[in-house]
Amino acid sequence: MKPPTTNSETDLLAGALVETNDQLLGLYDLVSLTIESLDEQRAVLAILDRAKSILGADALLLRADRNYSIGPPNDVAALEAVHRIPVQAGDSSATSVPVQTPDGTTVDLGALRKSSPFGTADKKLLGAVGKMLVGAIHRARMHQAGLDQAVKARDHDTASELAQRALPRWRPESGRLDLFAHSSPARAAGGDLFTFALVDDTFHFVVGDVSGKGLPAALMMTTTISASNAAFASVGESGAAAILTTIDSWVYETLADAGLFVTLLVGSYNLTSGILQTCNAGHSPVGIVRNATFQPLAAQLPPIGVLPVESVEACTHQLGPGDRFIAASDGLVEQLNMVGGMFGDERLEALLVSDAMCADGLGKAVFAAVSDFAGAEPQGDDRTLLTFFADPGESSC
Amino acid sequence: MDISVTETPAPTTRSLTLRGRFDAHEAPAFRDALDAAMDNGHHDLAVVLTDVEFVDSTALAELVRGMKRCREAGGDLALVSPSDPVRVILELTKLDAAFTIR
Repeated sequence: MKPPTTNSETDLLAGALVETNDQLLGLYDLVSLTIESLDEQRAVLAILDRAKSILGADALLLRADRNYSIGPPNDVAALEAVHRIPVQAGDSSATSVPVQTPDGTTVDLGALRKSSPFGTADKKLLGAVGKMLVGAIHRARMHQAGLDQAVKARDHDTASELAQRALPRWRPESGRLDLFAHSSPARAAGGDLFTFALVDDTFHFVVGDVSGKGLPAALMMTTTISASNAAFASVGESGAAAILTTIDSWVYETLADAGLFVTLLVGSYNLTSGILQTCNAGHSPVGIVRNATFQPLAAQLPPIGVLPVESVEACTHQLGPGDRFIAASDGLVEQLNMVGGMFGDERLEALLVSDAMCADGLGKAVFAAVSDFAGAEPQGDDRTLLTFFADPGESSC
Repeated sequence: MDISVTETPAPTTRSLTLRGRFDAHEAPAFRDALDAAMDNGHHDLAVVLTDVEFVDSTALAELVRGMKRCREAGGDLALVSPSDPVRVILELTKLDAAFTIR
């Protein structure tokens, strides 16, 4: 049998029961709050507002990487002042609780109530409010991160589309040049490029690949195309070396500042003489198909943007009937299939030397073969091919 | 890709050993490791590529960026024992002329 309780003990027990009941009611009120906004500030202020009402507080202050407060400015200021130093025992009108965040850091939720000191139940309730606030902030930031990612993906798509529009859609009308030029961009905008111009009797062209992916690569791709087109116009019939050094002088600094480079194959093909000049700054695969053999044209210098081009001499090739010039990009060669195999140089070269009646037929066959090889495996990089048949004569598809 | 950073007897030198595929997905980790070494005053970096199976253009751009940063600080970034696939890429792109290769 329990000993009889005194009046003071009964008062304490009754007080504790009331406090517990108040705490439960407060918690019930808090959890029934519907947060309708995924905006961080709105969600946090809604919770603080409800908590202020439940606690009968004058002001609340959440100290996190971004501070939030509710209450009259003077009370918030008083709370800020109290929180600059650890809350003292005599400072019973103010209290604070530490709250653990999902990333392991600790934030602080402080409260000010001038009418009466905070009890144990109030502090527990304040702790629950803190956890609710941290959850709301985490949820809002996750939502924002999702939105940012969606915007980024959309930006990449837009960049890719815009960059593709910088590629020439026209083809030179000449019976002495059978040209195929096509670029198929990967999902994450890459930096493959080609462009060309027919200046009098000379077909100038550029094929390149900007390092990296995404917006920077797409921007540098369009910049390089613009510089190439301007170089074609400014150097006239000077040839490939002049075009390459002109492009380098215009884009080197920008590339270097961006930490990017562009592999670039520059060619000038005289339609009358059949003489082809090439300058290869780190681009591959490039070559000439002659007598059913692929003869690679090795790079003469590193890609543009790595080191300033001081001097370069063009390589000269005499093309004859049946010869094919090839400039592709690594996206064709390095395409993977479902089991991790790579399309590779050998498959590409076998296609390039195969019977083809015209450049268009050859180009389409290459793209189809790489696509078939990939199957359901996503396109890993931009795929680009520029090929022309020298002195095509009567051949056609 | 694995990256391990090794101390060397010379105080300004560090060795970064890479293993596996070195591509656009792995480039940020390499950049972090390189920047951390540079920020700690190591301006002579040796990047060991013996066990790297593949490099793409993004990875090459990171190596070029690192090489430029080291040279601007008075040091250098050397490529050490590149595997055959890496050596082929360096030769095809003529980047072997830009890097110190040991």
